[in-house]
Amino acid sequence: MTPKVLKNYIDGEWVESKSGELLDVRNPATAEVIARVPLSTTDEVTSAIQAAKTAFPGWRETTPFTRARYMFELKNVMEDRFEELAAVIVKEHGKIIDEARGEVRRSIENVEVAAGIPSLMTGYNLEDVSQGIDEDCVYQPAGVFCCVTPFNFPLMVPIWFLPYAISCGNTYIVKPSEICPLSQILFFELLEEIDLPPGVVNMVNGDKRVVNALLESPDVEGLSFVGSTPVGKYLYAKAAEHGKRAQCQAGAKNCLVVMQDAVLEQSVPAIMSSVFGTAGQRCLAGALVVAVGDVYEPLEGMLVEAASNLKVGDGMDETVQMGPVVTQKSLDRIRGYIEKGIEEGARLLLDGRELQMEGNSDGYFIGPTIFTDVTPEMAIARDEIFGPVMGIVRVDDFDQAVEVIHSSPYGNAASIFTTSGKWAREFKYRVQAGNLGINIGIAAPVASFPFSGMKDSFFGDLHGQGRDAIEFFTDRKVVITRWF
Amino acid sequence: MDLATFGAIMTFALELEKRAAAFYEQAARGSLEEPFTDLARKANKRAKRMERTRREGVQEMILEPIRGMHGDDYRVELSSDGDESELLNQAIGLVETSIRFYQDAALKIPVKEVARTCERMAKESEKQKAELQSLLV
Repeated sequence: MTPKVLKNYIDGEWVESKSGELLDVRNPATAEVIARVPLSTTDEVTSAIQAAKTAFPGWRETTPFTRARYMFELKNVMEDRFEELAAVIVKEHGKIIDEARGEVRRSIENVEVAAGIPSLMTGYNLEDVSQGIDEDCVYQPAGVFCCVTPFNFPLMVPIWFLPYAISCGNTYIVKPSEICPLSQILFFELLEEIDLPPGVVNMVNGDKRVVNALLESPDVEGLSFVGSTPVGKYLYAKAAEHGKRAQCQAGAKNCLVVMQDAVLEQSVPAIMSSVFGTAGQRCLAGALVVAVGDVYEPLEGMLVEAASNLKVGDGMDETVQMGPVVTQKSLDRIRGYIEKGIEEGARLLLDGRELQMEGNSDGYFIGPTIFTDVTPEMAIARDEIFGPVMGIVRVDDFDQAVEVIHSSPYGNAASIFTTSGKWAREFKYRVQAGNLGINIGIAAPVASFPFSGMKDSFFGDLHGQGRDAIEFFTDRKVVITRWF
Repeated sequence: MDLATFGAIMTFALELEKRAAAFYEQAARGSLEEPFTDLARKANKRAKRMERTRREGVQEMILEPIRGMHGDDYRVELSSDGDESELLNQAIGLVETSIRFYQDAALKIPVKEVARTCERMAKESEKQKAELQSLLV
């Protein structure tokens, strides 16, 4: 069967792209082509911006209570189609079905938080700032916003932004990942089902030309981005050049510090989930395990045993614990890093390249890989590999562990495993990373908290989700009043 | 089948309840018509509860590999043929398996809300076991 060509969603209609350029969308577990995505033209971007701009005044005037009711409707249709949404994520991304369900859950949680907009958007005032003069601060929507999102959470990441943006009264354009665009197609079918006014939400498939056209338009107010550090840095600068606000969440190289007093029986499963969950393709994934002092000896054996027991396969199989990586290109890159690690002198304890798959031989599979004797200057310690590769770094004490964390230009996440309140407190106080875990492998903020990030992991000041989202998607207008 | 993930345990629970509902519906006859029809209704309700729990209890933060649970340990053979005594004994075997499964799952799943749901399922099954045993005499 010929794979279907995906459409754009502009002004409340599904529209075929006029672009002749198409990319294959593949199921990473089988390499089968499951759809074709158009690389849309700049005219199509202009149409989407025009639709969003036209829809803005009417949508802004829609009461926050009505906008909140759309969120309740959206939650309901997402709950109804929960398994379908999860299955699409598995099909296009490869992660296991539990991870996909987690992604859908987190997406719905963001919709639930956005449904609180009548409270969240409330301003504040003060009487008698001077004799007989009152001052009010009101939150107002700002116009047309857009997001450019990555392949690794193809449903959830746009939903970190879109529900807040439109609940605040803005209109929106999504540019989904061209590698994994299918869950956004389904999500927009649900948005169509809740019957938002035309132009409030729009989707344009494509590549960097779409992104540039969005950023160069004077009618777009701001951009939310999640992806790599070089692209994040470029987009942040370009947004500033064109007078736009931007929040750009970027790359990561996260450390998991294991202290001598850690409860290893409970810490090791958390480390497995952190490093090998979604085959290491998430910005919160643990990449370096920093073993402090004599914890190394027991920890090494436990990590290798646990990782060797992980079942790798098609994510739709409920018994599978790790799926494939997303593309052949990713697979090649990860294999290249394993080669590089060996060349640099790290010792390979578990080689994922030796994975033997039953069936699915065309899929992009690689097994869990563990290096030890990794030092901070090695490429496998510095670079974001974005695959199921763990490096173990040995240090003597807590201070050295913090040095390892801070030697990275990234500051997305870090975790410590310990039973000591003192070390936990020191970690929380000193470590420069946006999302910290204490005996938690994946420090993933829930929807009502900002998804933080520091250093080269975030460019901007207001993060996605939570209170930050409301601040990002609104202007604060101050009104000073005196009556004669 | 290894029940080595949250989803695998939840899906196993869901299937267990669906099979229980089908068994009670097919075996609801004679003096067992009323109690088995009621048990079928309850099993359908429990299946919905487990589906909701699978949907709502999944949390990325603690989506960790689970060890030590195997589907084969909770296998039940059910047939709606046989006399009432045989059907009752099958039902008792089913709820005993159900109690064991939910008690084990409550210990393995590191999400308290889900563990509490499993404990509730086990308690309900214990009550059902007592009711079924009272029908034997």
